[in-house]
Amino acid sequence: MKAVLIVLALAGTAHADRWSRMADEFSGAAWLHYELTGLDRVQDEGMRAASVKQLVLAGARLHGIVGHGHTLAYHIGLDLAAGGTVGQGGFAYDVALLPIGIAVRPNERAFFALGTGVGAMGGVPSLDGAVTLPIDLTAELGNGRVRLLGRARVSYVAGAPSRDGGAPSLPTGDELEAMLGVRIGHGYHEYGFSSGNGYFVAASYRELEGARFAGVTLGYSIDLASPTHL
Amino acid sequence: MRWLLLVSAACIVAKQPLVVPPNDETTVLLVTGTLGHPLDGIARHPWFAVRRKGEQRWALYEVPSETSADDPFDRGRDYYGNPILHAVWRGEEADRAADCIDREAGAIIRDIDDHYIFYPGPNSNTFGDRVLRKCHLHASLPSTSVGKDWRGWIGAGVTSEGTGLQLETPIVGLKIGLKEGIELHVIGLSIGIDLWPPAIILPLGPGRLGFADR
Repeated sequence: MKAVLIVLALAGTAHADRWSRMADEFSGAAWLHYELTGLDRVQDEGMRAASVKQLVLAGARLHGIVGHGHTLAYHIGLDLAAGGTVGQGGFAYDVALLPIGIAVRPNERAFFALGTGVGAMGGVPSLDGAVTLPIDLTAELGNGRVRLLGRARVSYVAGAPSRDGGAPSLPTGDELEAMLGVRIGHGYHEYGFSSGNGYFVAASYRELEGARFAGVTLGYSIDLASPTHL
Repeated sequence: MRWLLLVSAACIVAKQPLVVPPNDETTVLLVTGTLGHPLDGIARHPWFAVRRKGEQRWALYEVPSETSADDPFDRGRDYYGNPILHAVWRGEEADRAADCIDREAGAIIRDIDDHYIFYPGPNSNTFGDRVLRKCHLHASLPSTSVGKDWRGWIGAGVTSEGTGLQLETPIVGLKIGLKEGIELHVIGLSIGIDLWPPAIILPLGPGRLGFADR
């Protein structure tokens, strides 16, 4: 009986050691954005007249990355937004699940994350609903009170012929979306984790249906990162 | 543009003052405080503070355990900050509430401790909502009490406020009521319109832009 207990105790210790080693080897980060974006059509391309004049979307973006003890990591994201096409008084939505992605972490709380997956975007009744294949690049830099937030997304559109080739700036892809902003807030280092939060303001840009949209995004974001074990 | 800033910041008009009532009657308080950094802007934690008539100390009921304190609002520097007082029960109503919380809270705390998941639930906010409903204490937790609407994979029932209905899943849920207004829940985040007292419900800060819920 004593031998069995010793074996169980050793097994338990080994199990605990394994979890401890995994916690040491794996590192990760996560970020959550609440965003409110207002976009106004600023330019039509050629003869093509976009049906949407103003677009307001509110939503959240929740992304996470996990890596195995170094700076390269797996990236997953979920973006949800809903709102309206202001002038037409319609409902609008823009959602995407990005289960395939890769991220690079130059330091603990900085990252460049590339992701792809499937989404849906449209406006009732003014913008044909479509399934989208987004390719999304997100970057966040800065460990202190000021943090730079950037995002660019090229989307391929299916199910809405009126939206094919709707981004004048792109040689390929149907739609373009970009945001560049600054967050003012706080950085923390507590319990072995680095984190931060704050409000941000960003310039937003979108191309769809052959038109260019420009506007502002206001939001709140938090980020949390474990050490990268460099 | 000014309305965008207001909506982004979220604020409450006519908050209940954090005043400790006299102990000439039994008192039950529903209080929430912010979580630690960096979640302090988007997540709150609830506790029930109960003090029987004539007593000095408060019994605090919360997840993960029951504790006691001299001040029902001050949880110390390292715990829950920026407390908001959501509801006060006094007198006979508070006696009934205190009896019910004392009777029911232990089992609910143990159940949630056994199945605890920080997000989306069940968590400390699920405890707060379950006690409100079990003890028929007509109040609501703020929208930033993420987990308050956790009902498992699917669940439906009367709201904690008692004047509405809600249908919930972990992905999406809906609450509709006379006092509750309309509240949409997406992955645990709440957004909507509170009819009385009027406010926009937001998943940020104190959870609403408008008049305090009471």
